[in-house]
Amino acid sequence: MKFPKEEKNRTQELIDTIDACSLTELEGIPLFPQLEDNVILLKHLFSDCSDFVIREFKQKNDVHAIAVFVDGLIDTKQVNEALKVLMLLEEGSDDIEVIEEALLPVSQIARVDDYKKLLQAVLGGDTGILVDGNIQALTLGIRGAEKRSVNEPEGEAVVRGPREGFIENIRTNTSMLRRKLKTPRLKMKSLVVGRETNTNIIVAFLEGIADPQIVDEVSRRIGNIDIDAVLESGYVEELIQDNMYSPFPQVKYSERPDTVASALLEGRVAIFVDGTPMVLIVPVTFWMMLQANEDYYERFQMATLVRWLRYLFVFISLLTPAVYVAITTFHPQMLPTTLLMSVAAARESIPFPAIVEALLMEVAFEALREAGIRLPKTVGQAVSILGALVVGQAAVQAGIVSAPMVIVVSITGIASFTIPHFNAAIALRMLRFPIMIAASVLGIYGIMVMLLIIVGHMANLRSFGVPYLSPLAPLSVGDLKDVLLRAPWSELEKRPSFLGIQNARRMDASFAEGLQHGGGQEGIKSNSHSNGEGSS
Amino acid sequence: MKRLALLCALMLSLPAVTGCWDRREVNDIAIVIAMGIDKEANGQYRLSVQVPLVSSLGGPGGGGGGTSGDKSYYVDSAVGPTIRDANNKIQSRMSRHLFYAHHRIVIIGEQLAKEGFSKPLDTISRFPENRLTAYIVMTKGRAVSLLQAQPQFERFSGEAIRELVKAETIPVTIKDISQMLNAPGIDAYLPIFEAVDSHPKGKSKEIETKGIGFFRGDKLAGTYNREQMQGLRWFQNTFAPFPALLTIDGGQRFSVYFQHGKADIKPSFKKGSVHFDIRVYTTAGIVENMSSLDLTDQKVNARIESKLAKDITSSIRTVIDQSKKLRSDTIGLGIVLARNYPVVWKSKYRDRWNEELPRITYTIESKVQVTTVGQTTTNITKEDP
Repeated sequence: MKFPKEEKNRTQELIDTIDACSLTELEGIPLFPQLEDNVILLKHLFSDCSDFVIREFKQKNDVHAIAVFVDGLIDTKQVNEALKVLMLLEEGSDDIEVIEEALLPVSQIARVDDYKKLLQAVLGGDTGILVDGNIQALTLGIRGAEKRSVNEPEGEAVVRGPREGFIENIRTNTSMLRRKLKTPRLKMKSLVVGRETNTNIIVAFLEGIADPQIVDEVSRRIGNIDIDAVLESGYVEELIQDNMYSPFPQVKYSERPDTVASALLEGRVAIFVDGTPMVLIVPVTFWMMLQANEDYYERFQMATLVRWLRYLFVFISLLTPAVYVAITTFHPQMLPTTLLMSVAAARESIPFPAIVEALLMEVAFEALREAGIRLPKTVGQAVSILGALVVGQAAVQAGIVSAPMVIVVSITGIASFTIPHFNAAIALRMLRFPIMIAASVLGIYGIMVMLLIIVGHMANLRSFGVPYLSPLAPLSVGDLKDVLLRAPWSELEKRPSFLGIQNARRMDASFAEGLQHGGGQEGIKSNSHSNGEGSS
Repeated sequence: MKRLALLCALMLSLPAVTGCWDRREVNDIAIVIAMGIDKEANGQYRLSVQVPLVSSLGGPGGGGGGTSGDKSYYVDSAVGPTIRDANNKIQSRMSRHLFYAHHRIVIIGEQLAKEGFSKPLDTISRFPENRLTAYIVMTKGRAVSLLQAQPQFERFSGEAIRELVKAETIPVTIKDISQMLNAPGIDAYLPIFEAVDSHPKGKSKEIETKGIGFFRGDKLAGTYNREQMQGLRWFQNTFAPFPALLTIDGGQRFSVYFQHGKADIKPSFKKGSVHFDIRVYTTAGIVENMSSLDLTDQKVNARIESKLAKDITSSIRTVIDQSKKLRSDTIGLGIVLARNYPVVWKSKYRDRWNEELPRITYTIESKVQVTTVGQTTTNITKEDP
C-alpha cells in the first residue's frame, strides 16, 4: 500500500472528530496529500447526499484524480470538456500547478488548500479537481444551475425607466450592476454568512465616493453575523440595523439595478444577498423612503409635485382616522356646521363609539390587504369584491359603521399606497393605531403628543451613523433641494453631503454653471427662422 | 425589549385610564344652530333653542331616533331668571347635551330689545362654547316664533336667517354688537327679521328682512324700513351692492343697482357745534328702464345721475335726522370725530355724545356715476328713434 498505516489512522481519527459538521467547523483543515484520504473524508461528509458526485478517474500517466461537484449546479457539457482534457491528455501531470497553468482550458479556475474553501466552492456550483499527491485542489467555476430570467420588477413598477429587475442569482445581479457602473471604482467585497446556508453576500460600493468608515462598518456588521441560515436579505437587514425596536426601516431594499446604482453614486453601500432579488441599501434617511427612482427620470416640475403629494399623504395616512376620532368625540366645534350635521346624521344609528368604529374598520382593512397579498391572483379578486361589498356597502347599510368612517379608512388606505417603499408604508400604518388610541383618550392633544414622540424617536434614530431625518435634522440646507424639491439636474451638481462623501461633485462646475445661467442648453437659435425666410 | 414591552403596556392601559371623561360622541349632542332670547312679562328671560333632528337629515337607513312630525328640527324653550338657568331647564328635559359651539344666529325678541338686551348677551361671550362670529338679529314679536317658522328652501329658519343676513341686510355679529355697545361714539343697530306667509300662501313660513332697528344704549330707539335703511349702507366698512328705485321727471321709472360706494366724513367745529362734511361717491348700473327715455343721451344720463345723488342725499338725511332726534348715533359719527380730534373728543364729547347729537350740523354731497346702462339703450318694446 502507498499510504503508511499511521497516516490512515490519523484520517480515521479526524473523521471521528468531525462528525456531520457544517462548513465553518472545517475551517483550517487542510487537504490530505493522499487522494484516498480525501475520498474517505468526502464520502463520510456527504454520506446520503445523492446529489453530491465524486467522479474518480485516472489520468493517462496513471495518476489518480477525482472530480467533485453537485449534480445540477454545474454545466455538465463544459465539465465534461474539462475532464476530457485531463483523462485523454498524453502526458498528464501530477502537479496541480502545472495542470492549472498548462493543461486545463477553463477561464475561471482557482486553487484551494483547505476543506472549507473547497466545499464552499463546490456547494456553490464549482467543480473541484483533486489530484493524488497534492495538498491543493482546483475549483473550476463552470456553473450552470437553473435560474429565473430577468423580468420587470413587480414590486417597483415604473412608467418611465428600465424594466429589468434583479433575480435570485447573485452573479447575475452583480453583473447587472456592473453594466450600470462600468468603472473600476465599483468594488464588490465578497462575504459568506450562514452556517448551513453559506450564503454569498457581496458588499458593493464606489471607492472614492462612499465613506470608507461606512463601508468598513457594513463589512464589520455583516462579518459578525453568526446564524445558521440567511434565506433572504431581510435576515441581514434585521441583523445589521441600528435600532431593532424602531418601527421605521433603517435599511432600504430594492430590486432595481438603477435604484442601486444611483444609491451607490450618492455614496451609499449596497448589500447583495444570494438567493433573493432584494438588494439592501445603507445608510438610509426617512426621505429616501418617500422617493422613487422615477422622480429622477421624469421632468423635475412633475417630480417635485409628486413628492409634495407623497409628503401630504404621509400625514393623511398617519393621521386621518385619529383626527376624525378626535374631532368627532372631543372637538365637534372644529367642523363646519353643515359637515357636523352630516356626520351626526350618519353616526345617528351607529352602536359603537367612534374609536371602536375606527379600529374595527382599520383592522378590517389591514386584514383585506393582507389577504389580497397572500392569495393567488384569481382568488385575490374575490377578496376585493368581498371587501368592497361587505365592508363598504353592507356594513354601512346595516348601520354597523358610518359612511364617513368608510371614507376615512379608504382615504387612509389610498394614502398609504402612495408611499413608494412598502416597509415605510407599513411603519406608518402601524403607528396609526397608537395615535388613534391617543386621540380617543386625549383628543387633538393626544395626537400632538404622539406626533412629538414619533418625531423625537425619528430624530434619535440613525442608520449607520447617519441621522435618520438628515438633511432636515440636522439641517444641511444645500441638500434640501433633493428632499423638499426635486431640483433639476443642473442644480443637483453635488452629491448629498451628509453621507460623508469624498468626491462631492456630480458634474463639472463649469458645465453646471452654464446650464444654470443659460436656463438650458444653447441651441441653434436662428436656424428655423432662416429656414422660414428661405422658403418664403 | 423591556422598553418595548413597557411602551406596549402603557399604550394598552391608555383606554382604561379616566382620560375619556369629556369624551362626547356626536350622537350624544344636540347641536344648537339658532337661539332666541325673549323677555317675559314677569321680567324673566325665555331662552329658545333650535336643534336639528339629525336622524331625519337623511342619514343612511336603519333605525335612528324617533322624530315627531315631518320637521327636521325641534324648538324648545324655557324661562329662567338667567339665560344659563333657562338652558339648564331645557337640558333637564333633553336627552342630549345642548352644544352651543355651532349656533350661528341669536334672535332678540322685541320686548327684550325695548327693555335692553345687553345683560343676556354676557353668557354668549363668556361661555366658551359660544362663538362671537354668530350673527345677531332682532324680530318684531317673539323670537321663539321666528325660530318655529319653517322656510321652504332651508331646513331650519336659523339657516335661512343666516343666508339672508349675509345677502340682504347689514350683517351684525356678536363681536360687532359688543363693540357697538361698548364704544362711545357709535350706537347699536340690528337687522329685523319677521316670519311672513309666502304669496300665494303655502305650507311654509318664509323669513323676510324688514329693515333695521337702532338702539340708544341697549334699548330700542326706533326702526328703519328697508328703504330708510339704505342711508346707513354707505357707511359700512365693506360696501355691499344693493338695488334702488329711481323716478325722474315725475313717473319715468328706472331700477338701478349701486355697485361701488364710499362715504367720506370730515368733522370740523363750526360755531361751537360739531359739523360733519359728508361726501358719498358711488357708481351705479341701470338694470331696468321703464321710461321712454334714451339712455345714450348725455342729458338723460346727467339727469339720472343728479336725481340719484339727490335720493342718496335725502336717504342719508333721513338717517342723520333720526339720529339727532332720537339721540342714537347709528352711523358712528362720534367715532369719526374721535379719530380726527382725539383730544377734543376725550375732553369734551366722549361722555356726553348722545346729548350732543341733536346739536350737530352736517352737509351732504353725493356723486353718482352711471357706468353701465345695459345692452339696449331704450326700452326694447319702444320703436327705435
